[in-house]
Amino acid sequence: MNRLLLRSALRHMQRHPWQTWLSVLGIALGVAVIVAVDLANQSARQAFLLSAESLTGKATHQITGGPTGIPEELYRELRVEKRLRQTAPIVEGLVRLDGETLQLIGIDPLAEADFRNHNEGLNDQAARQFLLKPASVLLSSITARRLGLEPGQDLGVTIAGRQVDLHVIALLEGDNPAVLEGLLLADISTAQELLDSPGRLDRIDLILRPDQVHDLTAALPAGLNLEIPESRSRVMLEMIDAFQINLAAMSLLAMLVGAFLIYNTMTFSVLRRRRLLATLRVLGVTRGELFRVLLLEAILMGLFGTALGLLLGLLIAEYLVQLVTRTINDLYFVLTVTQLIVQPLTLLKGCLVGLGVTLLAALAPAIEAAGTLPISALRRSRLEQRVRRGLPWVGLLGLAALIGGGLWLSTSGNSLLGGFSGLFLIIAGYSLLVPLGVALLSRLSERSGKRGSLLLRFALRGIGANLSRTGLSVASLSVAVAATLGVSIMIVSFRSTVADWLAYTLTSDIYVSAISSRASSSDTTLLPETRGLIQSLPEVAETSTGRRVTIRGPQGPVDLLVLDFASNTQQGFRFLEPPLPELWTGYQRGDQVLISEPYAYRYGLGTGDRLTLDTLQGSLNLTIGGVFYDYGSDRGLISLSASAYARYWGDTGYASVGVILQPGIEPSAAMAAIRKALTASDQQLHFRSNRELRDYSMAIFDRTFAITQVLRLLAIGVAFIGVLSALMALQLERSREQALLRATGVTPGQLIRLTLLQTGLVGCYAGLFALPLGWLMSEVLIEVINRRAFGWSITSQLPLDAVFEALLLAVFAALLAGLYPAWRMGRVSPALALREE
Amino acid sequence: MPQPAVTLTNLSRSYREGYRDHRVLDHAELRIERGESVALLGRSGSGKSTLLNLIAGIDRPDKGEIRIDGESITRLEEPALTLLRRRRIGFVYQFFNLIPTLTTRENIALPLELNHCAKAMMTDKVQQMLEAVDLSRRGDAYPEQLSGGEQQRVAIARALVHRPALLLADEPTGNLDQAAGKNVLGLMTTLAREEQSSLLLVTHSLAVARYADRILTLEEGRLSESGMEAAW
Repeated sequence: MNRLLLRSALRHMQRHPWQTWLSVLGIALGVAVIVAVDLANQSARQAFLLSAESLTGKATHQITGGPTGIPEELYRELRVEKRLRQTAPIVEGLVRLDGETLQLIGIDPLAEADFRNHNEGLNDQAARQFLLKPASVLLSSITARRLGLEPGQDLGVTIAGRQVDLHVIALLEGDNPAVLEGLLLADISTAQELLDSPGRLDRIDLILRPDQVHDLTAALPAGLNLEIPESRSRVMLEMIDAFQINLAAMSLLAMLVGAFLIYNTMTFSVLRRRRLLATLRVLGVTRGELFRVLLLEAILMGLFGTALGLLLGLLIAEYLVQLVTRTINDLYFVLTVTQLIVQPLTLLKGCLVGLGVTLLAALAPAIEAAGTLPISALRRSRLEQRVRRGLPWVGLLGLAALIGGGLWLSTSGNSLLGGFSGLFLIIAGYSLLVPLGVALLSRLSERSGKRGSLLLRFALRGIGANLSRTGLSVASLSVAVAATLGVSIMIVSFRSTVADWLAYTLTSDIYVSAISSRASSSDTTLLPETRGLIQSLPEVAETSTGRRVTIRGPQGPVDLLVLDFASNTQQGFRFLEPPLPELWTGYQRGDQVLISEPYAYRYGLGTGDRLTLDTLQGSLNLTIGGVFYDYGSDRGLISLSASAYARYWGDTGYASVGVILQPGIEPSAAMAAIRKALTASDQQLHFRSNRELRDYSMAIFDRTFAITQVLRLLAIGVAFIGVLSALMALQLERSREQALLRATGVTPGQLIRLTLLQTGLVGCYAGLFALPLGWLMSEVLIEVINRRAFGWSITSQLPLDAVFEALLLAVFAALLAGLYPAWRMGRVSPALALREE
Repeated sequence: MPQPAVTLTNLSRSYREGYRDHRVLDHAELRIERGESVALLGRSGSGKSTLLNLIAGIDRPDKGEIRIDGESITRLEEPALTLLRRRRIGFVYQFFNLIPTLTTRENIALPLELNHCAKAMMTDKVQQMLEAVDLSRRGDAYPEQLSGGEQQRVAIARALVHRPALLLADEPTGNLDQAAGKNVLGLMTTLAREEQSSLLLVTHSLAVARYADRILTLEEGRLSESGMEAAW
């Protein structure tokens, strides 16, 4: 490459440090968001896999039970009668400690040697204590360090609402202590005692030869399954797939806005230098040489931006991983991730995206610059003419992309990737239509501003006359603002749909539930007499019960909602389509089930279809009586009557009681009475009024979307930098025009007002164009993306405050971006500005 | 026998203005010998710059042929035209058109570097040109640090440093005061002669045109060597 051309390009970047660094920062933020989300997602997945691998050890298979777990006798039977010596029983539970959740695993130290080495290295005294001393545990060394605990100290925790002091006898080190973070290990009988599940196991680990698998599968009692550990981990990870894909797509949105920024910068950089580039062409610089130099500029910015982005990404990921973990804990399963797992592939992905997007975005301006004939590049008017002539074609292309995006969305089936690519095509198509819209709008406003002051007319005309630059600025600002508006509308609509759903689903006045310590399979049941005690109170009109357990459905594990109705519980269900006529009789009888919308969507089921469930009595074939709206689980849910569940699973337990009060009874007074009636019970309970439960659920909802809000803010950050850079370039490039105004008697104050008026107008146009795109994006997010990811129907809302905010954001961003050029224009001497050209 | 530096045969070029065609060159004929300097006089909009652009290969004729150094450029593709400009043509503009991000020395060196000149030779040649245009002490200055006259001297040095067959100058004194203009014109014609480059000087000033060996006028799209006093 020509040395002098390169030097000239580098000096150009040095001479416009603001623009260069704003672009670098834009790329950096885009890369940072992608890297941070990927690191957070990967760290959560890796932490889960490593921890699962460490807890699985050398087990080739696992026996898992249904809602009621596995009877302990089975373990004895396997070891003694079936002579399967390489078996190890496991009990799992959760322990709360100052707002964090630790995992308690109960093991049989004597059976562990074949599987894991967690308890290796214990001295005799510690080993004896582990087996014999009540509440003795081994604690992850990393967790112990974090909590400032030494072996021999006590650890006060809450298990199912009960305060328990655990005695830490030694620390768990292992080959990789990080994977044991958040883990407490206890002897199996200690764990059963602590978790209040005597005689029950959660799983049995086995090392089996291939020939033993078939026999054991056949011999297992109904309701128990023999699985390979990886498939269990895979099923767990599949739960968070949609959540993580959505996060990754949000990060891509930030990068898309970043791409606009780079495209803008490069285009402005080419436009600013059109005379210089033309001179170079006249001097004999070939198209290829010019193209390479411009591309090299982009690569340099891309390199700097990407490097900075990787560093920023690591910093943001530290925060993001906490949010991701919290959401996974709130919605899916308990996970402790305290350290980022930085995989080279993630960094490589960040590099490729950063450099790739920069190059792609710079390609068009570079081709444009290199392809322009020297004679036309020398003439500014020719450029604007060409832009005007090309507008209908660009608009047509935009329209085609818009229609193509729509068609792609409607023909891509249930593919989430298809949904996102359709969305991005729509955004690209719309942004191509924006310059045409700017031309029309500026013509309209020029007409309506005919009677305004000369400066107003000048400002209005300036936008249409410089379409090559204003069109771009408005398009990129529109896309950025639309993205934030679209996400806002989606969240508000979702929130309002969930609030409505909670309002009609929660039909009781008060809810009483047991505090759970179970890690999986099912929630903790209430004592059998609880319902009767509540029902006997004079304040209480009726009660219902509910329980959620995980069972094996035809497509793997599925949550089963077991309900014993009160007279108004039916009102808590709303259906996608009319249910079967005899639904409620069939449901109570136990030959009809209800399925939630996500479950129906995921497995293509509908009202009247059949569903087979594995029960303790064997397979059960049921009719789907109706598909109901449910926003409690994106995995989907099956609802069965309590009587049917008791019949097929032999389990009459319930985990919550819904209380309907007599007319005129205050919930607070009734709650006090219920607390009093249940004082004698030895169980730790949650008492929540209808309002409290709704608030609690909405708080979880808001927490879930906290990460989306963070990503949205980052996307706004990238967009703002883009607008700042574009408008600064636009105003600074017009130095000569403005110097002419100064020379003809316009005061600095008037010039500042003119500049701000123009940038404000650009912001206004961008805000106006952002509204339809924002709405369109929200519709795609609601109707396509959310549906394909989670299977939820969301009722669209058009929140006026979000619309107003979007308009305000556009105008504010534009005005802020106009401040520096306005200030500069007000100060610069007319002679100097004229000479610069 | 050496080929003429420029030969135009039957050259025509029109532009569309509104609903009608405006013919700026109408079967124009021209021959410029090697080392000869020719001034082209004409009113504003008469097509002088169009003719210059056609000869430089940055615009294309509707009809006719252009030969530079005996080689027809009319059918050359864009890359070949670029290389032709790089090797055989130098340009001087009214508004200097220096590269603002290169120093005086680098601006002059640019055509040599584009022609892959060896570094030592390049340094020598640039120094010679700097001395020739009396700017040896301003070699490290950027264009914005130079006066208009100095900038135009840099432009002349840049246009001639690679010894082009043809130097094209479009109103080179249009942006300079009288003294600086005289200085620039004297320098340009002298250097062009020394470097054995032919010069085509476009101007609307008779005083400027008188620096050339021969004066042509462009009127109604046609080139002629008579009647210039009548026109001006």
